[in-house]
Amino acid sequence: MIRQRLAALVEESSDGEVTAREAMASGLPLSALGLTSIARMRLIDAVEAEFGVEVDLSEEGLAVLDDLDLLAARLSDR
Amino acid sequence: MNVDFAAGDCGTGPFTWGQEAIWQTIERTWPDDHYFNFGQVLKLPRARHIREVAAAVGALVERHGSLRTLVAERPGTTRALGQHLEARGRLPVEVVGAAPRDVLDKLAATRFDYERDWPLRVALVTEGDLVTHVVLVFCHLAADGFGAEIAVRDLRMLLVRGRVPGPRPPQPLELARWQAGPEGRRVAATAAAHWEREHRRVPATMFAASSQDAARPPIWRALLASPALDLAVRAVAWRHRVSTSTVLLAATAQLAARYGGHRTSAVLPIAANRFRKDTRGIVSTLSQEGLFTLDVDRPFPDLLRPAEAAAVRAYRSAYHDPADRRRVVAAESERRGEPVHPGCCFNDMRLADPGPADCPPERLDAALEQTTLTWPLSQDRLNCRFCVHVSAEGVSLTADTRYLSRASMEGYLRDLEGLLVETARR
Repeated sequence: MIRQRLAALVEESSDGEVTAREAMASGLPLSALGLTSIARMRLIDAVEAEFGVEVDLSEEGLAVLDDLDLLAARLSDR
Repeated sequence: MNVDFAAGDCGTGPFTWGQEAIWQTIERTWPDDHYFNFGQVLKLPRARHIREVAAAVGALVERHGSLRTLVAERPGTTRALGQHLEARGRLPVEVVGAAPRDVLDKLAATRFDYERDWPLRVALVTEGDLVTHVVLVFCHLAADGFGAEIAVRDLRMLLVRGRVPGPRPPQPLELARWQAGPEGRRVAATAAAHWEREHRRVPATMFAASSQDAARPPIWRALLASPALDLAVRAVAWRHRVSTSTVLLAATAQLAARYGGHRTSAVLPIAANRFRKDTRGIVSTLSQEGLFTLDVDRPFPDLLRPAEAAAVRAYRSAYHDPADRRRVVAAESERRGEPVHPGCCFNDMRLADPGPADCPPERLDAALEQTTLTWPLSQDRLNCRFCVHVSAEGVSLTADTRYLSRASMEGYLRDLEGLLVETARR
């Protein structure tokens, strides 16, 4: 469920440039799918607002944000 | 001619964070604050009657409160300025038969009286009885570049369809209320913590030493138009899997530190702040400075990954309450016994990012021959010592020649090109 919701947020943040389906299916980093830096900033805001967490903005934290499965796992471990 | 407008909403409130930030900047630049005026030309898909276009302009002003908002003292306060939204009014509109670009330059050439002038100047460019272009000049308190894009897009819709589909756009007075509320304060506190933490390690200012070669007037702008630099930025971004904006910011920061004699670079990147759902469609000034800090004493390619994360943190810190930033800066200045301000900013104004792309060295070499450097602007005052702007025209450096001579400004831009092209070539 979290993974699906995150994929929907990816689509919304990227104005549909990266679809939820692509994000779910590809297994590639979101940046490799074409998630721009503005879309990533929007995704950070959306994840924080929806899940009530503070996204880690270190290099390692951003690597997690770039990986849908890792991000979903971190959020479900909360 | 005049265009009457009559909307349903009015009121007075505090500035939004974005309005407060640009207001401080305007005050520091006065009386050269026309520097911040900017405009757009809308070429109409087909020529239209003046009354049709005038009606669309009226509807645009009714739709976006920002375009009928003035600076005012807030009731019950002494000398505290804020925003005052008028429901009704009369907007002067010029009807002219001249080149649209010249009309824009003329409308943008004089400062706004922020408490009295509507923050939008409009001219209808005509051929015969019909309007071919609409020129809009914005006061920077009313819109930033992205806000102006939305206004122009809506004006086009009003002309073509007679209405703008979708929900009512967010308004600056509502945003100011959200920012002052619990969720806004939570966002502000996170940003303030970043400003406080990073201020501890930044140089007091990036360009402290006198250049010994001040020009007259002291502020100059050099513009480097370099297809080679554009190609190189895309190639470096592609190779290192970072954004083109990060490549430009990291290069700007490393060279600024080299020219200023520092190991740690502090740059204030200007962020659009249109990342949240409630700010995306608003016509207002949301852009503010964030604080980017990076230890740059290492080879440029090694900087790029840490720069990407530092850029995200900096852009997040841009959505902040200027009152918090003032407090942080005052405390740090007091702790050190000297004023602390980077005096070094970066504004990536490109509306479209071409994205990462590889480039063969021979194409870079061929492009290098097309580089030009010009000096399009000079003036007496500016609120910063060193401002890098990236736009479709190229990369410009606007600097105070009392701290960086014109020769050094040119050297800086040539070094920027050289650093990026060399990195792309490897």
